[in-house]
Amino acid sequence: MQILLVEDDQPLARGLQQALGQQGYVVNHVGTGEAALHVIEFDRPDVVILDIGLPDIDGITVLEKATAKDKELPVLMLTARDGVDDKVAGLDSGADDYLVKPFEMTELLARLRVLERRISSTKSNDITIGNVCLDTVAQTVTVDGQDIDLARREYMLLKSLMENAGRVQTRSALETRLYTWGEEVSSNAVEVHIHRLRKKLGNEFIRTIRGVGYKINQEANS
Amino acid sequence: MSSIRVFLVAGILATLTLFNFVAALRGYQSSMDEAELLFDNQLLDFARLVARLDVDDNHSELRLSNNLAFQVWEQGKLLAMSYHAPETPITGLQNGFDYSNFDGYRWRTYTRHETASDRWVIVAERTDLRFVLAENVVLESILPILLSIPLIGLLIWLIVSHGLKPLTALSTELRNKHVNDLGPVRTQNSRRELQQVIQSINGFMARLSQGLEREKRFSADAAHELRTPISALKVQLHNLAGEIDTKSDTWQELENGVERMQHLVEQLLTLYRMNPDKFAENSQETDLYLVCENVIAQQYSLVEARKQQLALEGEHCLINGDAFALETMVSNLIGNASKYTPEEGTLLVTVHQEGDRVILDVEDSGPGIPEAERDRIFDRFYHSEKPQGAGEAPGCGLGLTIVSHVAELHHAHVEVGDSCFATGSKFSISFPALES
Repeated sequence: MQILLVEDDQPLARGLQQALGQQGYVVNHVGTGEAALHVIEFDRPDVVILDIGLPDIDGITVLEKATAKDKELPVLMLTARDGVDDKVAGLDSGADDYLVKPFEMTELLARLRVLERRISSTKSNDITIGNVCLDTVAQTVTVDGQDIDLARREYMLLKSLMENAGRVQTRSALETRLYTWGEEVSSNAVEVHIHRLRKKLGNEFIRTIRGVGYKINQEANS
Repeated sequence: MSSIRVFLVAGILATLTLFNFVAALRGYQSSMDEAELLFDNQLLDFARLVARLDVDDNHSELRLSNNLAFQVWEQGKLLAMSYHAPETPITGLQNGFDYSNFDGYRWRTYTRHETASDRWVIVAERTDLRFVLAENVVLESILPILLSIPLIGLLIWLIVSHGLKPLTALSTELRNKHVNDLGPVRTQNSRRELQQVIQSINGFMARLSQGLEREKRFSADAAHELRTPISALKVQLHNLAGEIDTKSDTWQELENGVERMQHLVEQLLTLYRMNPDKFAENSQETDLYLVCENVIAQQYSLVEARKQQLALEGEHCLINGDAFALETMVSNLIGNASKYTPEEGTLLVTVHQEGDRVILDVEDSGPGIPEAERDRIFDRFYHSEKPQGAGEAPGCGLGLTIVSHVAELHHAHVEVGDSCFATGSKFSISFPALES
């Protein structure tokens, strides 16, 4: 996967290039927003890692310009600022995700895998974790190659968890993803669906964080 | 505090009265002089008249007014006298004016020697009457002024009040200005003297707001400046981890050092950002349970790395607060609990409502906090003795200071007690519930 890294801090950029290179990513690095827009236009990367604080154009402006032309472009924002306003501004301008500096390298890799899965699901259609494989086009799920039968909401729930493998998904977040606004949600709807999924996938695949939500580990069952 | 208006009115009135008094005194003096001259001339005329009297008649029965008297002497013998006059000479037999006392009064006298008849004529007039006249003249002139002083005072009061109106308007505007409003003073049509003051105030306001703006920018800049190199350090450490023995003490020290630096910078910035103005701006209806849910989801990897169990219990509870500040608080509480609890320990977060309070409890199965230390743990840069088996992640001693700071902003109380486990501590934060 080809990544465009837009970061003006040289030591951080060199470190990231090395770290991501070790993971098998191809990383191109530019230090200005101008150069970033140029590269995005003429040599479209698969994913952009974009720092908000750039010397020439503000990172958010770069994001707006880039996504105005290419709505599907996956962008992971890096920001040294925080506070709710900055985050909202970044996401509203079309960023897929953001990380506040200083971040854990493992966290960055996890976010990249989520973006990668999203890209690959539009190309090669499946997400595989452990012995479970989910085909996002055919909307089917296999366990050890065996097809299993899932209700629509069970499938959506599993897809949401597998796409974000390695990260805890809160029950509230899952509820909003499963039910459109105004639909009646019973207080234990998510639990009921998880219970049914476990019957079909085994108890260990989906982990419960009591009172908080659920999580599928990156290397499930291993 | 004295009022400018009262000072001006009293001052002007006192000055006016003083000058009137001096003028009256001066008038009295000149009236007295005038009266003296007038009466002396009359006395002179009277003496001439008396000199022509027929002295053979008995004049003692002559009814002169009470204030006049005369005697006519010839060679030591009293030839004639008025009703009041004594039997002895009123004054020494010497030409000219003089003073004398008789009949219980002070008299002005005039003695005249008639050379033709060789007689002495002495005339006298009571002096007190002269004073009465002069006093009357003066009184007549100052009485109107005296009576009009209240009216003058009222007029001065009105004029001074009118003159002070721009100042009053300015002070009202300044008083009603919001604490955060550093904009210029808007009072218009002011007097020239006030323009200077307003310009100075506006200049000061502008400099102050620039200063505050610079300070805010500095904090944002500092965040960027410090966070980016720390990110670089962390990434380099990650890369280095693949190349060398990560079990060595040097490596551990290095990793802890970077970790500690990151932590300190974050906490310092957080503490700085939690100022009451910002809080009032961002405060809104917040579900404390959702805040906990989010924080735990974000922090779960830290807890998981220490193989600890973490659960959230309770119900959705609404409070009035700033979600960002509350997230920082919960994050610090959980981070702290995880740090001081050995691996494979248990953490429990509970949110529930008790009457009009919403209670957030964070409990752990760590070693607990001794009673003696419970008051001091909220002090800045206080470090508890690291217990056996506690995490290696070093703190900077600001985490609980931030917790108590956020609690204070939310009018919440913090209590430290024993956890529901066999050992361990419980941090209990009690917020005022939002009225539904």
